Amino acid sequence: MSHQRARTRAIGLGAGFLALATGVAGCSAAGDAEGDGGDLTLTVTTFGTFGYEDLYDEYEELNPGITIEASNIDTGGNARTDVFTKLAAGGGLSDVVAIEEGWLGAIMEVSDQFVDLRDHGIEDRAADWVDWKYAQATDPDGRVIGYGTDIGPEGLCYNRDLFEAAGLPGDREAVAELLGGDDATWEGYFDLGRQYQEATGKAWFDQSGFVWNAMVNQLPEGYYSTDGELIVDDNPELRERFDLLATAAADGLSAAETEWDWNGGKSFTDGTFATLVCPGWMLGNVTERLEAGGGGAESGWDFADVFPGGAANWGGAFLTVPTTSEHQEEAAKLASWLTEPEQQVKQSTAAGNFPSTLAAQEQLAADATPNPIFNDAPTGAILAERAEGVQAQFKGPDDSLIQESVFGPPLDAIDRGDADADDGWSQAQQLLGELVD
Amino acid sequence: MTSTLIRPASAPPQPAPRARLTRRQRLSRFDVKASPYLYIAPFFVLFGLTGLFPLVYTLVVSLHDWQLLQGQGDFVGLANFAAVLQDRFFWNSIGNTLSIFVLSTVPQLLVALVIAAVLDQNLRAKTFWRMSVLLPYIVSPVAVALIFSSVFNEQSGLVNNLLGVVGIEPIDWKQDTLASHVAIATMVNWRWTGYNALILLAAMQSVPRDLHEAAAIDGAGAVRRFLSVTLPGIRPTFVFVLITATIGGLQIFAEPRLFDVTTAGGVGGSDRQFQTSVLYLWEMAFFRQNFGEAAAIAWLLFLLIVGIGLINFLLSRRIASAESAVRRRRDRSKGARR
Repeated sequence: MSHQRARTRAIGLGAGFLALATGVAGCSAAGDAEGDGGDLTLTVTTFGTFGYEDLYDEYEELNPGITIEASNIDTGGNARTDVFTKLAAGGGLSDVVAIEEGWLGAIMEVSDQFVDLRDHGIEDRAADWVDWKYAQATDPDGRVIGYGTDIGPEGLCYNRDLFEAAGLPGDREAVAELLGGDDATWEGYFDLGRQYQEATGKAWFDQSGFVWNAMVNQLPEGYYSTDGELIVDDNPELRERFDLLATAAADGLSAAETEWDWNGGKSFTDGTFATLVCPGWMLGNVTERLEAGGGGAESGWDFADVFPGGAANWGGAFLTVPTTSEHQEEAAKLASWLTEPEQQVKQSTAAGNFPSTLAAQEQLAADATPNPIFNDAPTGAILAERAEGVQAQFKGPDDSLIQESVFGPPLDAIDRGDADADDGWSQAQQLLGELVD
Repeated sequence: MTSTLIRPASAPPQPAPRARLTRRQRLSRFDVKASPYLYIAPFFVLFGLTGLFPLVYTLVVSLHDWQLLQGQGDFVGLANFAAVLQDRFFWNSIGNTLSIFVLSTVPQLLVALVIAAVLDQNLRAKTFWRMSVLLPYIVSPVAVALIFSSVFNEQSGLVNNLLGVVGIEPIDWKQDTLASHVAIATMVNWRWTGYNALILLAAMQSVPRDLHEAAAIDGAGAVRRFLSVTLPGIRPTFVFVLITATIGGLQIFAEPRLFDVTTAGGVGGSDRQFQTSVLYLWEMAFFRQNFGEAAAIAWLLFLLIVGIGLINFLLSRRIASAESAVRRRRDRSKGARR
């Protein structure tokens, strides 16, 4: 009896050693592990629709001994609060943290709290990315703190059925041409909207906030000058575009929708508005909301290779490694792997966003996979076209605050018809003085 | 067994002089004197760590130029307080807080009283009714806020649909200031009414039944008995409920935060129509990243709650003295009869 038990124990021990040995072997095969020989757990925090789930599994398979604990935060805004709070508290951040372009400016103020990825060989990969994406992640001292994941080149989502009902062409090439192709302007976009509105009595775009975002992001300098000065007052182009937008909204072109909600997605199905500014990642949002609102491919949405005012970029993310991470080497390796072109293509397939590396973009353009929700438009290939000529704009520390809290309220008031362009602009001026020091 | 055998041997054969206490005696005296402090120490240690330290630290932060990410800056004295007191958004948030507080506390306590009075009757399946009343309290405020923000959706929410049935124009629940306050007060009421009703019910059950009987014999109707017997009987409990409702009401956060999450970053409406003080504090700290001013708001809010708490205290003391006056009068009349 006791004899038998002893043998069982020996087998158990042997198995334990075996497991340990494989673990060690796995680690050393993976390269420079932490040296403690044990298993390693890496934590990753992303937000929105990142599409990384399958890639985590793949990485774990390729690197035995590494376990990935992933958490995903619902929206970029909440992810910002999460990162800021943990930075302020001095701990609690994951080993790999996703950062959004909109609040990268604030992060850059404390870039020394993130690992300089040049120590982990990011310079060898610099040519992988579109040059401005790599430059955005570089702080004034030349430290590089983020591996670029996706970018947000903007195209135009429009509703084919609504266009045709209003006597406009529905075909996506014809729509692009109608708006002026490469020379599309905001004036032209709004004029077509007025035409549409006269024919149908319905709104042209969903709400002014997103349009304003696109209008600002597209300028060489937005709220800040390239050298970091706040120039809202001294940027005549801002005021010009604000007036243009306010006039359009006053003409009834805005549906005054709640952003990100669109009446639970129902507004995508009932013809409330006909167009929407669409960065690559927005296609995922539209699909999700459209389906939540009971719509689908039959709802008539399409994606055109055109954007008023020329090429524009909205958003995109980076993967960073905070200095508080205990496994910086391994974390940087994971982040680097996740942002390699091959993985970016897979991410794009899963999440519908647009990759930031050149090779991945070429792949998407070549594949031209039809997107069933958008009338089989080759959205990846169209976005590759839309990414050409995008200029990175300098994002200051309060960029997202100005976008949401300074220009948000006046644009809402304009959408509701409670304010005109002058009221709105002076309200924005006042808020700027009060909210941004 | 062994220890009892050994002990007398180890104990000194001659007792020590009176001034000198044995180790055991000293230990026991120490035990008498120090133990009570040790017993209550956990509370004070915990309070010091989680109550006092944050309070003092917040004061330190409020006296500095302190950015969320960059950390401590220069000492600025009371400049943060001055900035907050001149900030129209601060006063806006105080106004909203008080408005939502009144809209929630008053109807909530009135309804709670009525429910408690009903539950105090001889109902069938008492426990079932009492549990049902408490049910909303179990639901997390976040879930309540999410459900109600959909119910009060402007385009296709339940409330506007129902109003449409009776021919009333849809109400801009998330735009109109008063409407948004009503909507948020509704969430608060839905969650807390039952809870308060149960506390009031417990108080009502301790009101002596013979008082009710005597009043009934004297010909008092149900309403009269409620007003003249029940209400005076539960006054101390009512004051307690009022105070807790006040403190809770001044700290409303989750409901306005989640009522409209998308507009302007979820800081309480596009024009801050329903931004409460705690929500403004949150915006200042984590959205505008001005930790110094946020700490100043926290302290001002603290002072405000202490102020209102003091008013409540004076109020309850008056009620208590009114009560003892009644008792004195009752005693006196008893004595006269005797």
